[in-house]
Amino acid sequence: MAVTFKNIIPDQDIANTRTLLNEAIPITGTIVSGTYNDENIKNYAHGMFQSVYDYPFLSSSANHIFDISVGYSSDSSLSSSASVQNAKKINMYNQMAQVLVGYDDTGNIRQFDRDGDLSSGTKLKECIFIDFARLLTKDEIQKGTFALTLMTGGAPSAVSHPLVLEDHGANTSYLVNSPVGEYAVLYTSSLAVEGTGVGLLYYQAGIAVLTASVFDGEFGAPDATYDTSSIDAVLTGSEISSSADGLRNRWNNSDFNNTTELNSTIYFCRAMTSEFNYSSNPTYLSQSQIRVKVVETDMPLSYITTVGLYSADNELLAVAKVSEPLKKDPTNELTLRIRLDY
Amino acid sequence: MAFLDNSGDIILDAVLTDAGRERLARGDGSFKITKFSLGDDEINYTLYNTSAATGQKDLQIMQTPILEAFTNNTSLMKSKLISIPRTNLLYLPVILLNQSLGVAKDTTTDSILITVDETTTDNITTGQYLNGYETTSGQILRVDQGLNNNAVAATIDLDTDLVETQYMVEIDNRLGQLATSDGTPSPVSFVDDDSIASYYFSMGTGRNGVTPTPANGYVFENTVTGDGPDQVIAGPRGTYLQFKIKASQNLNSSTYLFTLLGNEFSFLGNTYYYIDTSVRITGATTGYRIDVPLRFIKQQ
Repeated sequence: MAVTFKNIIPDQDIANTRTLLNEAIPITGTIVSGTYNDENIKNYAHGMFQSVYDYPFLSSSANHIFDISVGYSSDSSLSSSASVQNAKKINMYNQMAQVLVGYDDTGNIRQFDRDGDLSSGTKLKECIFIDFARLLTKDEIQKGTFALTLMTGGAPSAVSHPLVLEDHGANTSYLVNSPVGEYAVLYTSSLAVEGTGVGLLYYQAGIAVLTASVFDGEFGAPDATYDTSSIDAVLTGSEISSSADGLRNRWNNSDFNNTTELNSTIYFCRAMTSEFNYSSNPTYLSQSQIRVKVVETDMPLSYITTVGLYSADNELLAVAKVSEPLKKDPTNELTLRIRLDY
Repeated sequence: MAFLDNSGDIILDAVLTDAGRERLARGDGSFKITKFSLGDDEINYTLYNTSAATGQKDLQIMQTPILEAFTNNTSLMKSKLISIPRTNLLYLPVILLNQSLGVAKDTTTDSILITVDETTTDNITTGQYLNGYETTSGQILRVDQGLNNNAVAATIDLDTDLVETQYMVEIDNRLGQLATSDGTPSPVSFVDDDSIASYYFSMGTGRNGVTPTPANGYVFENTVTGDGPDQVIAGPRGTYLQFKIKASQNLNSSTYLFTLLGNEFSFLGNTYYYIDTSVRITGATTGYRIDVPLRFIKQQ
């Protein structure tokens, strides 16, 4: 019986695999501030956050890469009715805290904790939030790869003193007591010394939370018309977008690897010695005679260029191509491993 | 010690076809891969030089560049490789349009004409056309299968493993649907995302599962063993497939698709709208496939 299909036996011919794919994501400071004269920065009427694009955002080529916002807790020393956008900054803090830290047993929103031990210790009450777009982080940020270099010294027009924030040791040690998955503490030293953290990095959420105290000198944009004497002055005396401008001004460089979880199914398509040696290609025959044979005893042969995967009702669901024709005759057999990624 | 030859184990990345994506999105379990087939669409076997030295015979074929995969499910796997345990076959059967016992192609348009409404059917003066308006009358479309050469006499039976007992027929569902010789519409197996309807016809199965007769069946054994003007297969014959094509209601009542997909032409003193398409007939056993050109016409 001549046949053109061969059944795939689930137990023998199908294998499932999971692969983690990592890409390096560099974000240089010149993109964040400078190169595009802030045409890649979008501020909104609501004033709750600022969006950063990798190209002027009016262009269809632009990709949204991250958002910046700031906030403080209602019991922060900066919280005052006199502060600009006071309610919005408290709301921003609470929103991020309830999503990233969760609630205590009485239903109150927990505050960000410096070392991740929510039961006690120093709380981060004044924070800068960097929300990376899914385009960059994909499924998650790869642990132990995050580095953010900030210029923490000098005047806004002449920033200096680079400080590198990294998730040291997170590839082997990280925290899991967040409702949004795994996170780690950001440190400025190559040693992950407990109690010296300057922020938190949430891997699956793709959000970095920095304590405002990482900036201990002047802060703000170079052309600022507001008080830039300290970050506290900016947080209380100007809008959220001004604080975002200040962060961008001091953004030197950033690097991390993202992770994409690739689930694959591999179908083993086995062409045995007596299979697939003839073709239904119209050029295969001349007056019904097989072109590749002169006499009956010549071996039949065919050339494989395509593998089609079919449903039970013969509908073509997936297809794979080879890079060059594969010769098939009764003297050989081939196992074509067809990988379908999800 | 030499390295092992691992050329027999090849990893290829597959892409989903549009039909595959559609089934995956449906989420009802209809996306299930159960079988595979191998194709050789790009290969031109006329480049195989049987008189060349060993190792040189397929030099040009092996240099054939391979196209990336299309995602349109009907654009791929047009010619499949066949598994036949025997290696001593010198001839394989083909499928040919029988223009003597079925409708013949119009010589000026090189396609089979199909009328779509009553006016066109009443006024057309050529004898060779399919009545797509009223399928209870008119001619049939017939294809024959077998070895088309004189090397083996037609009196000899075609090997049973080469006889097509099932055919798949594909046609644009927006333009027409298939029917039996007595004009009864045929059940569609499925219509894909590109509106291509697939029909499966098996020997021994007539309409509604009744024992087939020429009026209500599709696939029949070709028992004619002698030469004759009506036979298009010169050698041993297998089966033949016959059906009619009923024009869609859209073509019958509107010119929308004609202006969208077709054009106008003058034919036998009248001006017609027309749409050129084809009906694709594939043998389920040998995978041999022919595209029969069709022209749906509507008088202006």
